[in-house]
Amino acid sequence: MTVLLHAAIDKSSLPVAGKRGLNRVAYWLIAPGVLWMTLFLVVPILMIVYVSFWTQTTFKIEPILTTRSWAAFFASDTYIGALWTTVRIWLIVLFTTLLVGYPTALFVGLFVKNKTLSTALLVLCVIPFWTSFLIRVLAWRPMLGKEGAINIILQMLHITSAPIDALLFTELSVIIGMTQIYCVFMVGPIAFMLGRIDPNVIEAARDLGASFGRIFRTIILPLSMPGVIVGSIFVSVMVLGEFATASALSGRKVNMLGNIIVTQVGSLKWAFASVVGVILTILMGIVIAALLRIVDLKREL
Amino acid sequence: MQATFIKPVLAVYVALFLVFLYGPFLVLAILSFQTGPNGGPQFPIIEWSTYWYRDIFGLTPPSRIAPLPIRDSLMRSLLLAMMTMVVSTVLGVMSAQAFRTRFKGSGVIFYLIVLGMMVPGVLVGLGLALVANILGIDRTWWGTAFVLHVVYTFPFAFLVMLAIFNRFDASVEEASWSLGVSPIRTFQKVTFPLIFPGVLSAMLFAFTLSYDEFSRTLFSSGPDLTLPLAIYGTFSIEIHPNIFAFGVLTTLFSFALLAVYAILMTLSVRRARRIAIQEES
Amino acid sequence: MVTGVLHIAGLTKRYATTLALDNINLDIPGNCYVSLLGASGSGKTSLLRIIAGFEQPDAGAIVFAGRQMVGTPAFSRGIGFVFQNFALFPHLSVYSNVAFGLDNRAEGAPLGASEMRDRVRAVIDLVGLAGLESRGVHQISGGQRQRVALARTLVTEPRLVLLDEPLGALDANLRMRMRGELRRIRSRLGVTFLHVTGSEAEALAMGDRVVVLDRGRVGQFDSPEVVFNQPASPRVAKSLNCYNLFRGKIDAGEFITEDHRFRLGGSRTSSADPSYAIRQDMIAIREGEAANEPDEESISARYLASEYTGSAFMYFFQLHSGSIVEVENHLSHRAMQNLDVNADYTLTWKTESALVFG
Repeated sequence: MTVLLHAAIDKSSLPVAGKRGLNRVAYWLIAPGVLWMTLFLVVPILMIVYVSFWTQTTFKIEPILTTRSWAAFFASDTYIGALWTTVRIWLIVLFTTLLVGYPTALFVGLFVKNKTLSTALLVLCVIPFWTSFLIRVLAWRPMLGKEGAINIILQMLHITSAPIDALLFTELSVIIGMTQIYCVFMVGPIAFMLGRIDPNVIEAARDLGASFGRIFRTIILPLSMPGVIVGSIFVSVMVLGEFATASALSGRKVNMLGNIIVTQVGSLKWAFASVVGVILTILMGIVIAALLRIVDLKREL
Repeated sequence: MQATFIKPVLAVYVALFLVFLYGPFLVLAILSFQTGPNGGPQFPIIEWSTYWYRDIFGLTPPSRIAPLPIRDSLMRSLLLAMMTMVVSTVLGVMSAQAFRTRFKGSGVIFYLIVLGMMVPGVLVGLGLALVANILGIDRTWWGTAFVLHVVYTFPFAFLVMLAIFNRFDASVEEASWSLGVSPIRTFQKVTFPLIFPGVLSAMLFAFTLSYDEFSRTLFSSGPDLTLPLAIYGTFSIEIHPNIFAFGVLTTLFSFALLAVYAILMTLSVRRARRIAIQEES
Repeated sequence: MVTGVLHIAGLTKRYATTLALDNINLDIPGNCYVSLLGASGSGKTSLLRIIAGFEQPDAGAIVFAGRQMVGTPAFSRGIGFVFQNFALFPHLSVYSNVAFGLDNRAEGAPLGASEMRDRVRAVIDLVGLAGLESRGVHQISGGQRQRVALARTLVTEPRLVLLDEPLGALDANLRMRMRGELRRIRSRLGVTFLHVTGSEAEALAMGDRVVVLDRGRVGQFDSPEVVFNQPASPRVAKSLNCYNLFRGKIDAGEFITEDHRFRLGGSRTSSADPSYAIRQDMIAIREGEAANEPDEESISARYLASEYTGSAFMYFFQLHSGSIVEVENHLSHRAMQNLDVNADYTLTWKTESALVFG
């Protein structure tokens, strides 16, 4: 017995097998997921970068490295235009979704005291996310046209005398559609952060005589920033990668980078599509990095 | 006090916001009852009718308006959604279980998984199309599109299971071990039954996301279309109220899935509360 | 010659920067009720969880029934565990909870259905749960859940059962009753219980032996009488919550504190932390400046307040230096005394009753 004990003490300085064993199981469990993501996400993205340097002939593509496709992109006004269109629409939609969504989040997250009511409202705001994206895009067509619902209502209320042409098949229609489709992604995170604000803090500030404007500027806005950033990241990622809404609501007039990729792939111009893909990825990387700089998310959450 | 003005003003705003959010769909729903086959996709409603609903189910005589190419693509979408749901939930449960212990590289791997839901469909679709081309693999809805669907839904299932495990009290598992039950059997007999409602909700989430998925599938589904792709195809041609009727039906289907999800979540919350009550004597 | 059932040698555990267990050495005998007393932060729960196999030590060895435990997974150890929050399986009935181990265990021959039923029934009767087999775990009371947790472990016939503050979740009445129940059940089965608690009364009442754990170290391991009457160190005395401790130094046959010089006469134990300890129930309260007997120590103190605990009165006094002295008058020995707040009294005790460390 004592021999056993002494032998055990001698071995005790080694790292414990039990702990190692548990970790080994974790590696086996995580391996399939990692493998899947590496093969079907990482490799495709790396492929895009690689192929962007391939030589593109009219119908074929060869792995001979060249920067010709890149030069073609930057030399063309149409494509640079698409880049600026993308950035412009992204900025505008980010701004509009924030503007449209913030007051709603404010109401639901801060002003509604009843827990069930605020949850119900939040659910109402979030449900559209669960419906088909295409249907939501489609639903704007009968709204925006010359004989569409908005024009009819405006004319009925005698706000306008003639139908507004610019509502459909313009950049404006794209922006309106995108705002409505993506604003839910702003409301959710912001309402969540606002709900976490201790109401006593606001109560105390009011007791000290601060006006609502002051309270908003110094307490509510800063505390909601992580939610604003998270929402902005969601909206930005989705808007930058957009093509369906732009195409459907503008009648192919508005060309975002996503649209370029789709058309280039349609004509089998793989190398060129890849160039646009890389540019889109870089753009998204810059946007997300910039947004994360504003607020240190890990600390706040 | 200023605040007393603000609340009602905001309340009105939120009401308008909800109108903004749901308005287009309501218009769509109203127009779906347009008379057919000559009624157009705009106001006014010439005559209220369920013509277009019947048209979807093939119950109307042939007209100049082509019926929606639903039947085959619907089957494909449902099947694809089922396959995606099973695979991504299995991956999600396994990965979340792995994350219950700290292992080297867990930070990087977490971001790798979450990356799947962040990368837009155009990019990953383009990339996979390139890979498939170069490897000489055909693009199919059950192959290349399926693979991308899992890439997209697996992170969602993973995050749901992470949240479930976060609230899971491991002492029941320890109790099982102390009784001489192996970890695998413990997972089978103790852990899994207790996390099952969460697993179901992850499955439902994955199903819905796959069923509605569009941008990734556009690049990777090959010649046989899924339902969203088939619908998108009709956008560029003339739009008719049959697509509105379809939109209403598919949305109701989504709502039904949502209702099931809500019931499941309530059940699991209630069970979790019972466990909590057990701790207070 | 080592004859016990559990041997712990050199056990050490570190969490980030804190040392939870510091070179623990223990020999737990078989067929014995052992209490493990420790304040929060003493490492008592860590020790229990490491013995059970839920956590791994950084160094040291554990030998149980002749087998190495470190390196053996928890489910192979054959050590039972009763959790503070019971950890019953919420999706199973009382019967299924109790039968779970026998039904699903990895090692050991599978049992026939009738033999399993008999064993489960026997344990259910032993803990007093007969008639509740088909109830769900949320349909029974706290005390009954406690018994299910116990039965569930006992049916697998472990030679060692670890109990992590098993009475902590019960109300005071139930706690008292369960104390007796646990002792009865254990002696019926002849196994060793290692019962962790933060309550010194519980530890002393339940254990045949008591381990006092303090800041990751074993302070004392002895019978309750010895621990209570002869704590091995000032820290052990502090853990018992019934000693007044004065710090100071020893010089020329006297113990010198801020307030007084005490004669040395009682026991003297060496310690790195010179302290003078006198148990709270060994102090008498006298009026005014009473003269003390030659075999007594006395000190003047101001009366602050009292506390009635049912069977005793606790009186709180303050010395000139500000230190608090507690005096316990057990009402079976002494009558209640009427004291004036803020008045000065003399506290006396037999010189030989004090414990001197230093």
